[in-house]
Amino acid sequence: MSLYFKYFKVHLKSELQYKISFILSFISQFFVFFGYYFTVLCLFDNFSNIKGFTLYEVLLTFGIIQTGFSFCETFFRGIDKFDDLIIDGSFDRLLLRPRNILLQVFCQETSFIKLSRLIQSLIILGIAVINIDVVWTIEKIITLLFMIISSILIFLSIFILAAAYCFITVKGLEVRNVFTDGGKHMAQYPIGIFQKGFVFFFTYIIPFGFVNYYPLLYILGIKNNPIYIISPLVTVIYIIPCIIIFYLGMKKYTSAGS
Amino acid sequence: MTSYLSYFKLKFKTGLQYRAAALAGISTQIFFGIVYISVYVAFYNSGSGSLPMPIDELVSYLWLNQAFFALIYMWYKDKDILNLIKKGNIAYELCRPQDIYSMWTSKILGERISNLTLRCFPVLLFASFLPNAFRLDLSISPERFLIFLVTLVLSAFLMVFLILLYHIICLFTLDEKGIVNIFMVVTDILSGLVIPIPFFPEFLQNISNILPFRYISDFPFRLYVGNISIQEGLIGIIIQIIWIVIILLLGRLLMKIALKKTVVQGG
Repeated sequence: MSLYFKYFKVHLKSELQYKISFILSFISQFFVFFGYYFTVLCLFDNFSNIKGFTLYEVLLTFGIIQTGFSFCETFFRGIDKFDDLIIDGSFDRLLLRPRNILLQVFCQETSFIKLSRLIQSLIILGIAVINIDVVWTIEKIITLLFMIISSILIFLSIFILAAAYCFITVKGLEVRNVFTDGGKHMAQYPIGIFQKGFVFFFTYIIPFGFVNYYPLLYILGIKNNPIYIISPLVTVIYIIPCIIIFYLGMKKYTSAGS
Repeated sequence: MTSYLSYFKLKFKTGLQYRAAALAGISTQIFFGIVYISVYVAFYNSGSGSLPMPIDELVSYLWLNQAFFALIYMWYKDKDILNLIKKGNIAYELCRPQDIYSMWTSKILGERISNLTLRCFPVLLFASFLPNAFRLDLSISPERFLIFLVTLVLSAFLMVFLILLYHIICLFTLDEKGIVNIFMVVTDILSGLVIPIPFFPEFLQNISNILPFRYISDFPFRLYVGNISIQEGLIGIIIQIIWIVIILLLGRLLMKIALKKTVVQGG
């Protein structure tokens, strides 16, 4: 862990060297992110609900998913850009070091500019939590925390899985965007609003449903079974095979660079 | 003229080589098309509020957005051109006996059109065979189709000149991440790519109707689906041409100023 923080400091210092560029990029990220919730706001300007879910309920799921995604983009950027490591051969260098390989990959890059998105996601989450029509009991607060944690974990799992895929293809394929960006886009809304096929896929194959739909039902008081509180923790189990696949892929790894 | 045409051909042919990337692009576009439509269908089925667009027009509109995505998205940074600017190789470009503006136009146009060629037809084909609620409606009257084609060609030029304008701004800022990012995102939103313009709040609709950005995708596609009448379409074409000329002149003017005081980066 201390190793990660050391890298963290180095990255922060180096990014802050270019102050104006940093500030401008930070602001521009604000606009990029605005585009995301602009859609939700516009749609709810025209419609009062989506399959019974109101604006703040959708903003809650939106906030949770975006928080998880931008958290991963900020702090685990290295795994997101894993194909660069393989293509230019720097991965070999990492292999030589006597430290945990995944940790080193995470440390490769930290994108503080994306912090702008994380802050906005948290603000939206906050707005949703305050305005939503829910009495916040301890169980519900715990559920919410589990949802946020599981949202981070699920994107981390997908990133690791996509990275493992690079061992075979070398170049990261655009298809992974379907699972990261596409999954993110869908999971901004409660998964239950979609057709059955999608619900099945995003519950059992990539468990977005457990991140934001089943626990949401508990928070809204639609379902009262306490098992829904711990349903987000499915992602803790989900990340294990992803890591195993990553290590299996690493065994097959042959260097591409010099 | 022939030299610019060969730049276009070169980029066009290079683009055609990336078939795996195109396949990935097609599947991404189809996936996103279905997801977007699912969201709207869920909203429409919830049966509340007023409907800015009939559902069948909306579905076709969304599919056209996906099928022509390679042509209309504005979040585009030409790595070659940006490298020229940042690393100072623009000095070589200046040595050539050619007009940089036309050269870059033909390069960007070549790349975008080749991407479009590979991606657009499979998406259109797929979308037109889907079950009813999700299907792209291909039946269209001949005169409407003709006007649509004209607007589409004009929108390609509008797109390329706008993108070029943003790259020319990089000549001043020497960085594509700050202000240029903001321009690109705002363009994507106001061109109706993120969400159709009829869904905007009133004041934003008024703003986007004045600005040129809606003539990139919103105008041709809404014309196609029948949301805009043919008369309005003909007037729109004239406005499109006016914007193209304005942006072309603005880009050339800025480039002239920029090149006068170009500081070549690096050695």
